Amino acid sequence: MVPATPWRLFWVFAWINTVTLGGGYAIVPVIGSSLQKRGWVTEDDFWDIFARAQAYPGPSALSTAMLSSIKLCGFWGAVAAFFGVVLPPFLAIILVSSLLTTYGSLPAVKRFLAGAGAVVPGLVAAMVWRTAKRRSWTAPRIVEVVALTMLLILFPALSLPILLGGIVALYVLEGLWNR
Amino acid sequence: MESLNVIWTFFKIGIIAFGGGWSVVGVIKNAVVPVWVDEAQFRALIAIAQSTPGPIALNAATMIGWSHGGFLMAIAATLSVVAFPVFAIAMTTLLANKVSIKKDPLNEALRTGSLAMMLMTLWVLRPVSLDPIMLTFAIGSFVIAAFTKINALWAILGAGAINAALGPLLRNLLGM
Repeated sequence: MVPATPWRLFWVFAWINTVTLGGGYAIVPVIGSSLQKRGWVTEDDFWDIFARAQAYPGPSALSTAMLSSIKLCGFWGAVAAFFGVVLPPFLAIILVSSLLTTYGSLPAVKRFLAGAGAVVPGLVAAMVWRTAKRRSWTAPRIVEVVALTMLLILFPALSLPILLGGIVALYVLEGLWNR
Repeated sequence: MESLNVIWTFFKIGIIAFGGGWSVVGVIKNAVVPVWVDEAQFRALIAIAQSTPGPIALNAATMIGWSHGGFLMAIAATLSVVAFPVFAIAMTTLLANKVSIKKDPLNEALRTGSLAMMLMTLWVLRPVSLDPIMLTFAIGSFVIAAFTKINALWAILGAGAINAALGPLLRNLLGM
C-alpha cells in the first residue's frame, strides 16, 4: 500500500474531478472507490465521512474530499484536496468560456446552446422525481416541503434568510414529530 | 463595485448551497438573472456547467466571474462560492467534540430543505416558450434522466447537436 500524502491526494482528486461528469451524485461513489482501492479508507469509514459531508453547505464532492483528506493528512491534506477539487472545473470553464467568446456568435453554436439549454427543465424535473421517490415521506414532511417551496417562490430575494431559518425550524420539527 | 457585488452574491450562494448541485440552481438564477445574464444565457450556462467537470455552483461562479471581469474575477467568484463551506469545515474540525448536533434530525432537515430548493428551481426554470422542438427536448431529457441510467450529459449534448445540425430543417418541415 502506498501511504497517503498531500501531493498524492491532490493528484487523485484532480484526476477524479477531471474525468467525472454529471454532478455530486455521480462523483461521490468514484471518490469512495478510489480511496478504498488505495487502502486509505475502509468502506464503512467512507460512508461515515460522506454522511457528515452532506451536512455541510457547498458541493458534496468538496466536503467529502476535504473531510477524508483531513482524516488522512491533516491540514495539508485539506489544502491538497481543495485544489484537487477546484482547479480542474475552474480550468475547464475558463477553456469553454474562451472558446465561446471566439465562436459563440456562430449560428450553429447558438443553436447548440439553445438546444442544450432546453433540456434543463427536464433534468431538474427528473432530479425532483428521483429525490421525491427516495424520500421517506410523513405527513409533516409533505407540509414542510410545500410550505418552504412556496416561501422560496414568493420571496426570491429572501432565499438566504428563508433557508437558514427554514433549516433550523425543520431541525427542531424533526426532533418533535419524527423521533 | 460590480466586482464586489459578484463576490458577495456568490459568497451568499455558498452558504445555502445544500444538497447536491441541482437544488442551488434556482437560488443562483434568482441572483444572476437578469442582472448579469439573460434567461436564455442562464439555461445555456447551466447546460454547459452540467457537461463540464465539477459542481454546478462552482462552474456558474467561474463563468459569471469570467464574463464580468476576466481571469481574476473568475478566480475571485470561484473562491467566494467555496469560502463559507471551507470555513465551516475548518471550524467544525477545530471544534470537533465541543459542539453536539444530533446528526439524524439535521440530515432529515437538510433533505427536506434541499427538495424544496429543487422544487423552487423547477418553478423558476419551467419551460418559457411553447416551441415544440424545445418542449420535446425538455420532455425527452426528463424521461432519459428519470427512468434510465443514461448519463444526463448525453441528453444535453444530444439536444444541442440535434438543434445545431437539424434545427432549421425541422422548423421548415413543421412550417414554422
